[in-house]
Order: sequence, then structure tokens, then C-alpha cells
Amino acid sequence: MTQPPVVDVRSLHVRFGEVEAVAGIDLEAYAGQATALLGRNGAGKSTTMRVLAGVVPPTAGTVTIAGLDIRKDTLAVKQITGYCPDVGGLVPRATPWEHLQLSARLRRLTGWEDRARDMLERFELGDVMNRVTGGFSHGMGRRLSVVLASMHEPQVLLLDEPFDGVDPIGVEATFEVIADARARGATILLSTHLRDLAVQSCGTALVLRGGSRVAAVDAAEMAGEEGARAYRALLD
Amino acid sequence: MPTELSSTDVLAPASGPTVVAAARRAVEDVAILFRFRKQAVRRRHLARALALTFVVITGLVAVVPAFVPGAGGEHTKAFDIFLLMPSALAGFLVLSISSAIASGGGRELISRDQASPYPISPTTDHLGALILAPLNIAWMVQAWVLLGSMAFSFGPRNLFQAQVVILLWLVFSTAVGQVLAWTMEAVRRLRGGIIAGRVLLLSLGLAAGAVQLTGHTLDLLDRIPTLWIFAGAVSGWGARWWLDLAYLVAGSLVAVVVGAIPAHLAAHRLPRDEARMETDQHAPRSMPRSVLGILVRLDRASVWRSVPMRRGVLVLAVGPGLVAIFGNLPWASMTILPGLVASGGALLFGVNAWCLDGRGALWRENLPATPTASFDARTWVLLEFLGCAALITVAIGALRAGVPNPEELSALVCTLLVVILQVVGAAMRWSIKNPYPVDLRSARATPAPPAAMVGYSARLATSTTITSLCFSGFAHVPDWRLSVMFAIPCLIWSGIRLSRARNRWADPVVRARVVATTAS
Repeated sequence: MTQPPVVDVRSLHVRFGEVEAVAGIDLEAYAGQATALLGRNGAGKSTTMRVLAGVVPPTAGTVTIAGLDIRKDTLAVKQITGYCPDVGGLVPRATPWEHLQLSARLRRLTGWEDRARDMLERFELGDVMNRVTGGFSHGMGRRLSVVLASMHEPQVLLLDEPFDGVDPIGVEATFEVIADARARGATILLSTHLRDLAVQSCGTALVLRGGSRVAAVDAAEMAGEEGARAYRALLD
Repeated sequence: MPTELSSTDVLAPASGPTVVAAARRAVEDVAILFRFRKQAVRRRHLARALALTFVVITGLVAVVPAFVPGAGGEHTKAFDIFLLMPSALAGFLVLSISSAIASGGGRELISRDQASPYPISPTTDHLGALILAPLNIAWMVQAWVLLGSMAFSFGPRNLFQAQVVILLWLVFSTAVGQVLAWTMEAVRRLRGGIIAGRVLLLSLGLAAGAVQLTGHTLDLLDRIPTLWIFAGAVSGWGARWWLDLAYLVAGSLVAVVVGAIPAHLAAHRLPRDEARMETDQHAPRSMPRSVLGILVRLDRASVWRSVPMRRGVLVLAVGPGLVAIFGNLPWASMTILPGLVASGGALLFGVNAWCLDGRGALWRENLPATPTASFDARTWVLLEFLGCAALITVAIGALRAGVPNPEELSALVCTLLVVILQVVGAAMRWSIKNPYPVDLRSARATPAPPAAMVGYSARLATSTTITSLCFSGFAHVPDWRLSVMFAIPCLIWSGIRLSRARNRWADPVVRARVVATTAS
């Protein structure tokens, strides 16, 4: 018997005034799997991620996460998700530790401090854990966003452009976070422009275009020159 | 044929433009940036209406008071105002200087982050700040008070000449304020400059206090240079008037040009205040017991770790308090102060309260907290920010006002509560209705574009002044309960409006729009 999808999106539409950012996306993601969302700018990747994070309500369609309807059980969905937004994602005048404290308090975590410190060290942010994030470089901000999304070991990990401007050590650490999450049975959705990194870290790839899903393939099929050609064909 | 430089050739250094060419280019850039800002105005018809209203009000204020009964008369109220005019001119200069210094050199025509990819010179920045200086309700009201007072105290005869001098004085004061603000900013950016700036301000404050305490204020006011300017303003077409004109025009031009020098100096130095804030370490504190507690703590940190808010609230809290002391303001009139301070405080961040989270708004929105908890925390932090500032002002003003009677005390306490809730309610409503993506890192940053700020400040100033004047009147009525009776419906009304804003914030569609905008 196959397991039901943890993330189940049916005919998702998101409109901002006249603009339809997402035009009928269907998506399933399963426990212990990492799924990449690929596509050009404006394909609807980040908006879809925002919907899954409970930040933007869907205009139409159904979205369930671990059986919870995102419209009705938004708070419960936020409890089990971890979200790294595509832009910034940090409160500029708070320190990393204050960010972690806020997340831990709202999620009622206990005994989280050691894990948080360990993650900050892995992402080479241990030295700056008490410094306000306003002065962080772009890469430092991205790395901290990944830490914040994953520190509470969420059932669903949503990473939107986590590799953007991140150095190789940060990329490696993010790979480890994804691998750890998969190992403990979490569902990972990763939105990125970097096809190679998506192929390395995910098992499945969904290609979005113009707010719709145009393909769902094994990530391995997107690898190498052949994969690049196939990907380009899907984008055009 | 040689096609490239040999190893022994020396590249000629690229020569920069001449000073005149650079200045011309800066003026052109100001026009370009101004058009760019104009394009971003959302409701252009409203902006045009506001601009027209400003011109009409200025024209009316400059002329109409001269024709009301009692205008220009001797041994009347008009004559008392006439005698105070030189002090009022000096007061405007002080206001221009202090507000430009507090905002780190004046407002930005384009924010630092937006400007960074473009070759925008400090001269352009300086000229832009000069143009934006009047887009400030404090500047406008003071200017109207000066023009109106001049018209009323002087009467219709030779009014044109007098008002021309007043207008030139406004320009001159603003330009001089800008020069001193840039100079102060250039000094603050030196090693030890922050301490030097604080020592200077403290010394000026102590000197002013000493003058007041030793009873030399009137002697000083009788000798201020604005007497000379004022004498020229009221001399008709006489030589003194022409001399005034020449001095003010020349002085303004010199100030505009000279201001570019400290602006360049400041631009080439690191903004130490901001840099310190961005690299500050804050030792971890114990976990608060409640959800509201941690939300409030984070919001509070966002407010008090921001340079424009710290500087702004200091000026707002202390400035009116000092005016109350030096002006020997009685308790009944002190009811004006909380509204003024609360309105000013809300303009530091409250009118766009969700911008405190910056790009972290998206992450925060994914946290499992009820939307109303976030709203309550933000509202509380705004309340305490405005409350602290208003209380400091009243405390300073109280130093010279003696012991209030029950009616005065009741009026003041009621004013404090009513205007603060009034301002918080309005600010939270506007924050939801018109969010802006603003980064409050720079000391010069404002929570909304200049035109929107004028609209907000005008509305806040009008509503709080009317409320304050009502309570000021009640302070003279020998029954302290009157203020309380008036305050209760006001508080209920503001509470209802705040509650409506809270319900609106609970709507996920509304919240998504605000979050997406502030984080963009």
C-alpha cells in the first residue's frame, strides 16, 4: 500500500489583483523525499512555497499538509513546517539567537539550545549568534534562514532559494540538513534556479512555467548536458 | 601601428568633472530623481490636491490675518506678537537646524540602498534633502505661524515686502540648517565624533539652561541678530529692506553651495552610529514566559536598536519639554504636548508598523503565533514608545510648572491617554492599509515616502491638536470630572477603531498583502 502524500496540492490558484501568480498547480510530495521546484523567474515557485508555509492564502484549489487543510488549520500547519523564504527572511535588528528563541517559544520547544548551537556552528554562524542580522552579508542571511527553517526538525521543510549567494561550506551544510531531514522522514520542498544543486539534493523535480506545472520527473533526468537540454526545452 | 599601451607607457588618470560641471550634473540628477519619486506616487490626484492646498493655505495665511480686526494695531495683541517676531524667526532657525541634525542630514530623495548602484553624488543628496525639508508638517506649521503672525502683527501696509523677507528667511534657515546638519554628521562620523556631538549638544543645552536660570533670556532675545532682519522686513521699500533681501538671497545661495562640502565629507566617512548598531552584540537573555512576552521583546528590540527611532524619540521627548520650560508653559497649555509628541513618535515607524520586521516578515508569518498576538505585541510596543516619549516631555515641562490643581492634572492625564490611543489606532490602521517596503537602517530613513508622510503628519497633527485643545479648555473648568467624562467616549471610540484594525489584521488575505509588501 502506498503512503498518502504529506503535501497535497490540487489545482492551486493564487491571484494578486489582476496577476495570476499560480495558475492551477498540482503537486504531491511524500515523507522522506526531497522535491525540487524548478522554473524561470515568475514561474510561481516562491508563491507556491509561500502558500505551503501558510504565508499567502490560496485563491482557489486545495492544499493539505499532513492531512491538515491550510485554510482551516493554518496555525497547525505552521507548527509542522519550517520555511526559508526567498528574500531575506530575517528581522534586521534581532540577533540569530533571538530569532531562534522566538521560533522555539512559539513552537513550545524544550531543550533546543544545544541543537541550535550545533546548527549555528555547522553553518559557521556560531561567532555571530549574538550580533544583529542587519549587518549580515547575503550569504550569511541565507545560511541563517536555513538554520531557522530546520532547527525545530519540521515535518515539512520548505527551502526557497537556500543556495542563492551561499559559499560551498554553506551549500554543503544545507545538503546535510536536507539529508538529515530525509533520514528522519521529513518532506522537503526545495525551490531553486540552480539545477545542478537541485539534482544533487532531490529525488524528484517539478518544473513550473507561467504559474503551472509542466513536468514532474526524476531529478536524475535533469543531470548533465542531457538534463540541461531537457530542462531548457521545458522552460521554452 | 601600435594598438595598445606598451609596458613603459603610463595611463593618464581619468580626470573628474570640474566643480561647475559636477554641480550642474547634481542639479540635473535632482530633477531626474524627483521625477522618479513622482512616478512612484500612488494617488497622483491626491498629491496634486495636497500641493495646491499647501499653496492656497500659504497664500491665505500670508495675507488674510492682515485684514482681520485688530491687525497691525498698537497696544493690542497684534503688537505683542510684533515684538515676539524676531524670537519667532530665531525659533524657526533652531527648528530647522535641530530637525535636520536629528535626521542625520535630512531626508533622502532616494533611499541609500536604492541609490547605491547609481552614480549619485553627495551634492545631489544634499540638494534633494533641501527640497524635501519643507515636506514636513512641523516645518509647514511653523512657516504658516510665522507668515500669519507677520500678517496679523504688521497689518496690510507694506505687507508684501515683509512677507518676502519672511519667505526668504524660511529658505535661508532651511539651507543653514542643512549645512549644520551635514557638518554635524561629518563630525559624528569621525573617530570619537559621536561623543563630541553629544558633548556639544549637552553643552548647548546646559548653556540654554544657565541663561534661563540666571534670568538672562530676555536680554539674550533683545540682542539676537534676527532683530536686524526683522527691522529690515518692516521698513517698506527702504534701503534696509533691500539690504535684507541681498543678505538673505546671498546667504541662502552660499549655504546651499557650502552645504555640499560637509555633505561630501560625511559621505566619505562611515556612519558610525548605524555601523555600530549593525554590529552590536546582544547577550542572550532568558526565555520569556509568555508568547506575548517574546513577541514584545523582539518588537521592542527592533524599535530601540534603530538609529532613526532613537534619535527621533530623543528629540521629540526632550525638545517640546525644553520649549515648555523656557516658555514657562502653564499646566493647562501643557495638554498640547502629548499630542505633538505622540504624533511625531508615530511618524518614526508607527504609521508603517509592520516594516519593523523588514524582510523577516515572511519568516515571522510562518511562525505558529495567532495573528492577533503579533498585532497586540506591535500595538503594545508602539503604545509604550509613544507613552515613554510623552511622559518624558511632560516630566521636563513639569519642572517649572509648579504643582497642578486637580482639574489641570485630570486634563493632562486624560489627554495623555486619549491622544496616545488615538494615534496608535490611526497608525495601526494605516499600517495595514498602506504598507511600504522600508528599511529603517539609515538615520535618514522614514517609514513612508515623503508625500505620504506629509499626509499622515497633517492628519495626526489636526486630530491630536483638536483633542488637546478641548482638554486644555477643560483644565480651566473647576471640575476635574469633566475631562474624565470627555475622555471616556474618546477612549471607547479609539478602542473600537483599534479593535477593527486588529480584526482586519486577522484576515489572511490582508495580512499576506502587508507581509509581501513590507518584505519586498
